[in-house]
Amino acid sequence: MSSIAQYLLNGLMQGTIYGLVAIGFTIFFGVMNVIKFSHGDVLTFGAFGGLVATWLSIALGLPIWLELGLVILVAVAASAAIGALIARSLVLPLKDAPPLNMLLMTMMVGTAIRECIRLFFPNGTNPQKFPELLPSGGAEMSGVYLRYDGLILIVSGIAFIFAIQWIINRTRLGLAIRAVAEDGETARTMGINFTLTVAIAFAIGSMTAGFGGALFGLYYSEINYGMGLILAVIGFSAAIIGGLGNIWGAIIGGYLFAGLQTAVVATLPSLSDYKNVVAFIIVIALITWRPTGLLAERGSERV
Amino acid sequence: MQGGIFRIWGLAVSGLAIMALANAGDASAKEKVKIAFVGPLTGSNSQHGIGGRNSAELAVKLKNADPATKYEYELVALDDECKPNVGVQVVTKIASDNSIVAVVPHYCSAVAIATVDIFHRFKLPMVVWAAVLPDITYAKKVPEIHRVSGILIGQNRVGAQFMKERGYKTFVSFADSTDFGKSMNKYFTEFTKENSNEILGTFAVPPDQQDVSAELTKIKELKPQVIYFGGLTPLGARVRTQMEKLGITAQFEGNSGIMGDAFISAVGPELAEGTLNFWDCPPISKMPGGQFFSENYAKAGYTQPPEAFGPFAFVATNLIMEEIEKVGPDRAKLTQALGDIKNRPSIVGPITFDEYGQNITPLTTKYVVQDGKWAVWEDSEYATGKRKLKNLP
Amino acid sequence: MSFLSANGAGGPELFSSQVGSRMSFLSMKGKGGQILSSVLVAACVACSLVAVLDIEDQRALGICIAVIAGVAFALSKLGIVQAAEQAGVHHPWAVRCIIVAAFAGVLLVLRENNFALLMSATILIYATVCLGLTIQTGFTGLFNFAGAAFLGTGGYTAAMLANVTWLPDIIVILSGGLIAAALGTILILPVLRTRGHYAALATLAFGILFYGFLEANELLGGPQGLKVPGITILGWDFANEPTLGGISFSFYANYVVLIGAIFAVFMIFTRFVERSWIGIWLDAVRLDETAASVFGLRVSLWKSFAFTTGNFLAGVMGAVYAKMTAFIAPANFTFGDSLTLVSIVLLGGIGNRWGVLIATMIVVLLPEKLQFIQEYRLLLFSCVIIGLLFVRPGGLLARRVRVFGGQ
Repeated sequence: MSSIAQYLLNGLMQGTIYGLVAIGFTIFFGVMNVIKFSHGDVLTFGAFGGLVATWLSIALGLPIWLELGLVILVAVAASAAIGALIARSLVLPLKDAPPLNMLLMTMMVGTAIRECIRLFFPNGTNPQKFPELLPSGGAEMSGVYLRYDGLILIVSGIAFIFAIQWIINRTRLGLAIRAVAEDGETARTMGINFTLTVAIAFAIGSMTAGFGGALFGLYYSEINYGMGLILAVIGFSAAIIGGLGNIWGAIIGGYLFAGLQTAVVATLPSLSDYKNVVAFIIVIALITWRPTGLLAERGSERV
Repeated sequence: MQGGIFRIWGLAVSGLAIMALANAGDASAKEKVKIAFVGPLTGSNSQHGIGGRNSAELAVKLKNADPATKYEYELVALDDECKPNVGVQVVTKIASDNSIVAVVPHYCSAVAIATVDIFHRFKLPMVVWAAVLPDITYAKKVPEIHRVSGILIGQNRVGAQFMKERGYKTFVSFADSTDFGKSMNKYFTEFTKENSNEILGTFAVPPDQQDVSAELTKIKELKPQVIYFGGLTPLGARVRTQMEKLGITAQFEGNSGIMGDAFISAVGPELAEGTLNFWDCPPISKMPGGQFFSENYAKAGYTQPPEAFGPFAFVATNLIMEEIEKVGPDRAKLTQALGDIKNRPSIVGPITFDEYGQNITPLTTKYVVQDGKWAVWEDSEYATGKRKLKNLP
Repeated sequence: MSFLSANGAGGPELFSSQVGSRMSFLSMKGKGGQILSSVLVAACVACSLVAVLDIEDQRALGICIAVIAGVAFALSKLGIVQAAEQAGVHHPWAVRCIIVAAFAGVLLVLRENNFALLMSATILIYATVCLGLTIQTGFTGLFNFAGAAFLGTGGYTAAMLANVTWLPDIIVILSGGLIAAALGTILILPVLRTRGHYAALATLAFGILFYGFLEANELLGGPQGLKVPGITILGWDFANEPTLGGISFSFYANYVVLIGAIFAVFMIFTRFVERSWIGIWLDAVRLDETAASVFGLRVSLWKSFAFTTGNFLAGVMGAVYAKMTAFIAPANFTFGDSLTLVSIVLLGGIGNRWGVLIATMIVVLLPEKLQFIQEYRLLLFSCVIIGLLFVRPGGLLARRVRVFGGQ
């Protein structure tokens, strides 16, 4: 029983990270009708940015809590910057192109980011050790080992998600973003700065990736250049399950995917290697059953 | 427009001609011979690969500095990324290139076992510098295959006995799912049972799996005294780190795959402290030619250390060059000559290839990590009792 | 009118310099001119291939590639490439003879060079797989991001059937294709029911789960991979070196000939599909599904046909590839490989089968031969594709406009 609780905790952690990635996908799609597949590698970029921040902090001899804050800040800022850059220079010019072109282009951008990290970061091909910044150890509760850092990360991840959600739904900026997502032309005529709003939306979406990257590094104490790809696919799947353009859907999709993985590991321990296989099979089945996602509007076509 | 194109043509052709002429006047006295080195130069095992490559290069450099040699040697270093499919591609490429007469391949056993057939198909002689999987030399009698490093049977036999002597009784085996991990697990299990100890569970994961918490959670329930790890450094580092995060306090027992500085720097000296290991090789300072090797390596100015198996790469390359001096750069003759090597002195001791091309290696040495470095057990404070291993009664 | 954007990636832009205006420069319109052009093009391609494969020295190679690029540019500006394509349309058998002659020439020159022949075989294998992808994406507009998975299916089928020794290798190779096609049917329902990005996810997820499955599954070798025996056809073991009239070839020549033959068959098949009523229906499905079904086209049927056929091609070549390299591992069939295949189709010009061959040559050869870019090959490749998508989304050899009512 205790091990199931253990799996659950792990699942919650992963679900938070997946949810963060999925939110980004869903924002991008909602605002510009584009699937930005480089999102996972933007996460990696943010994580590596955070790593550099830790080196800087150690060199400057900063106290741990300041180092922690700096890591998160730099990770988020780095991702936001590169996300906005990609949006301005690569996505916007190509927005009228066929979807295959856009998809391929963002996949290639992701590959380019990944390769740049691999080639130009010192020792880029090796996994990088992320320092222990959160209190280690944990509480033993009825056989379940609750890691302190795990709990902190889950709580902060959920808090961040709520913050993003609040920005989108309750601020003027969020209103502008939603307006642009609804109808770009009309938003422009209403005096909303289209390009700026799009850039900001992409920056916000990428920020979630940066935060996710920092969480990942802090939890596993290890980051590597290739970690973005599988996270992108999972995040994309999660966003689609929840329905593209729907933030709550993305979050639910993320936890759902993690839940699927956990279910496989918990119920069939000897088959735990197959957790991704089962999860993806269920994802494919889900989108076959509901081709436009679980929470999105039903699309129907009868010709 | 037509004129423009012809102008480009003309420029290009004359450029080609100039290049050809420039390269033509390069007459050297000695015939050039190419030897290939294959190891993981990128990826998470790259520290070992680069150490090996530097050591092989050092051997070539020292040889070329000797005016009495008949040939001038060139080392072609290629990257197998510790992946079997890349290794197969790279070795096929080398084997198809008739100018390369011999190869010093593979740190990763998983790659070596995949490429053995290619060497045989193209009749290309090779001397393995690090991979320890027994099947590489012993599965079939293949004349092209030789190996200077040991095989993993010895380390597991000595290890199992040692653990029994210490007083350990319950173990869990955690290996990777390649042939290397499977072989490690097989011999570990065999010898542990021989010593009447109990294996509570066996786990296997692909070598690049990131999250091992599922498996470790199960292991935690089993409460073993020792966790035996049969795999390479990247996975070993992850297991050790995540063990700590889950609060597992078992004693960590490694294998030759985590031998070297890479593991200690990956997990940090604190977590590495007290890790046990068994390896068919004394530390380099105690090897007969160790001093010579270390001095020359330092003099050559390499930024990366030779790592655990660097000296073996040095030896393998030297063996090949010595034989080329005798029989010339001919693949078939080299295969024959390498097979006949008996009691050849080297920096790691005398090399003798048995009928399968395997070097019968010196004694297995027991190691423990002490203060961020691998120390020989007998010389350590653990042996005297000043420091204690985990979970001992 | 919408057929002017027949190259799906080109968007609303009209076909540019390839058609019409520059053709008259050297009066290549006549039959003799066309045949001559195709001989010239075939000779240039063959010489380029031999040169790139043979030259070892990096600087000479760099210059050689620059020269080839220059020649290619010149040929296309002079209208010779178009004339050659026209020859392919009007005088297919003459062109086929020319190609076979060029192929034999290349084989003869490279006969002892193991690596060059291995590369040639690899190029032809990837080109055939991309032909299958062309049918899926170029003709029918389906996204397939799991190309490598079907390639792998063929390979693993060959590996598994190796234990069944009484099966002749031809059957094994065909089975590779059949099993891949069968596996594809699992995906047909998701592919049919979804549109756009959701459809992309279906094949994407499948590719990833295929890789995950192979890594985890012990029976199929796991991450260690499996050894695969070579091909033996009608008693002739492909590991033997063939000799023809006293000239001996490397044993890879066996594979090159076999793969070349398979490639030729599938090229003719693709041409048939494209030029027949099937091709028109596939185009209709790609361009406007709703309109197509309004006109009574069974969209599901033709999508399934295209998807299955493409997968069959991939499976067949996967089996041959596994047997040629004698080894197969999951790491050969990752998402990155599927992405490379899609990029090749785009680079060559979506829907253009000759473009596929040229693009494959570029993508496979350049990273192998240019040592100094080896490490950077993925980075350079992604940058090239990004650039291409901005500057020339039609690809190198954009697809010809379909002309109706007699050529």
